[in-house]
Amino acid sequence: MTGERQALLQARGLTRRFGGLVAVSNLDFDIHPGEILGLIGPNGAGKSTTFNLISGFYKPTSGELTIFGEPCTGKSSMAISRMGLVRTFQHGSFMPTMSVADNILLGTIHGLRDRAARRDRVVETAQMLGLGGHLSDIAGTLPHGLQRLVSIGIAFAARPKLLCLDEPLTGLNQTEVTGTLTMLERIRDEFGASILLVEHNMKAVMKVCDRIVVLHHGQFLAEGTPGEIHSNRKVIDAYLGHRHEK
Amino acid sequence: MDDKLGLPYWAIGTALALGSTLLIGDPYIVSVVNLISIAALTAVSLRFVMLIGELNFATAAFVGIGAYTAGAAVTILDWPFLVAILLAGVVAAAVSALFGFVTLKTKGPYFLLISFAFTEAVRIVYSKSMFLGGNSGMVGIFPPLALDPWMPTFIMAVSAALIFALYAAERSDFGKILIAIRDNENVARTVGLNILLIKVACFALASFAAGIAGSLHAFANSVISPGDFSYLLAAFALAYVKVGGEDSILGPIIGAVLLVSLGSYALGLGGQEHIFYGAAIVLVVLLMPHGLVGLVRRGRDKLAQRRA
Repeated sequence: MTGERQALLQARGLTRRFGGLVAVSNLDFDIHPGEILGLIGPNGAGKSTTFNLISGFYKPTSGELTIFGEPCTGKSSMAISRMGLVRTFQHGSFMPTMSVADNILLGTIHGLRDRAARRDRVVETAQMLGLGGHLSDIAGTLPHGLQRLVSIGIAFAARPKLLCLDEPLTGLNQTEVTGTLTMLERIRDEFGASILLVEHNMKAVMKVCDRIVVLHHGQFLAEGTPGEIHSNRKVIDAYLGHRHEK
Repeated sequence: MDDKLGLPYWAIGTALALGSTLLIGDPYIVSVVNLISIAALTAVSLRFVMLIGELNFATAAFVGIGAYTAGAAVTILDWPFLVAILLAGVVAAAVSALFGFVTLKTKGPYFLLISFAFTEAVRIVYSKSMFLGGNSGMVGIFPPLALDPWMPTFIMAVSAALIFALYAAERSDFGKILIAIRDNENVARTVGLNILLIKVACFALASFAAGIAGSLHAFANSVISPGDFSYLLAAFALAYVKVGGEDSILGPIIGAVLLVSLGSYALGLGGQEHIFYGAAIVLVVLLMPHGLVGLVRRGRDKLAQRRA
């Protein structure tokens, strides 16, 4: 783990309650530059709540959030995304009635003032994601796998410093999973973006992530490289148990 | 990212519309053409807010605010005609920006109800304001004498210019943001767009057009009263949009031409023109969910498929 000064995102004591339910409790974790960080945990572990907290969609009940060195606790989702943290949603994270090109265009509008530059960015992003041949297709009519790519395309078109993806591999076949993982590595390596990945596909998480944070019942359970997590007894007991014992 | 505005088609359509105002001599038909121009502009204004997914019954209020602003400007303040028209748009846009900033945090049925209530509240304010003529309204809202013979052409030209401006806005990147907000507001929020500000801008632009439509209504009729600007005005505008088809800006224009013509014909038969509006909405909802424009497009696509 690198020093705290270098972290793109620092969560300290992050807590979110919904009435009597503590969805995320006293969570500490960092995201470092140039890494793909996996955030995993069983259903109800608090992954989505954590996602909503760091992207400004929920305000934390308590705790501190620092993004790109700036205190961001309680900042709006718009303010946080303008700083360079852009997220996707688990379901339907795109505009179904708009063309693929116009979907991706949305990601460019805040950052680029020049229309020609926006259009260049759209083409570059679409080609990078393998959507170059679908620019004029209506997003809602595309197969599920391509719609997932459009979701990533909107977020990546903003050229975020930290790209947060909520279960981008759900419903994809093996070929599409492999293609998406390669693309995530390209986004990290060629564009220098860090990626926070919430994902249930453990094989993919173990393959692509540089580091993994495990949540359980809304609390921090473990942190480490994929190899460390794979052999962590607490993680195995809480999450990977059945599969590991096979 | 097809950004073509189809300028030649707009030029031909506008030229034909302007030409019709010059060729028609019958005063009744001229008055119907004026009604059509203003109705089309009002319906296009209503549809512009529908781009963000909201049904704005306050369109009627902003048409009324425009009409009363123009009326007060020329009859009370004695301001010039063109200043009165521009002021009508600016006042309607300013009031709508304030109203929108407070209310556009709500969505769907909540916003619809608020906009409906606002329209009725504003109408009651006119009727209680003696300096605006109370229940009787304002009279003597005349254009300059020299312009009087050209008023139908002027009304058509202003309506066409504003409709084109709203069309250009819809086709711009700004318009794409509006549709994105309708489709998936949360995703639009994640890429740094100020959703409330964009909604307010959309609302104010539409209300500017509605305010101008109101001023044209005032100058076309010379008389305005609170009853002209009830929620029914917005309901009629919605009928134009739905009958013509909301997917294209041509929809509200075609809907206004058809329904205002039919309504005026029914008036000649002894009234009850509302039957046409009601029947048209029922028929369209049941048989043509994308309106007349959608029906034509479907027919064209089927023809193309057969030829292929």
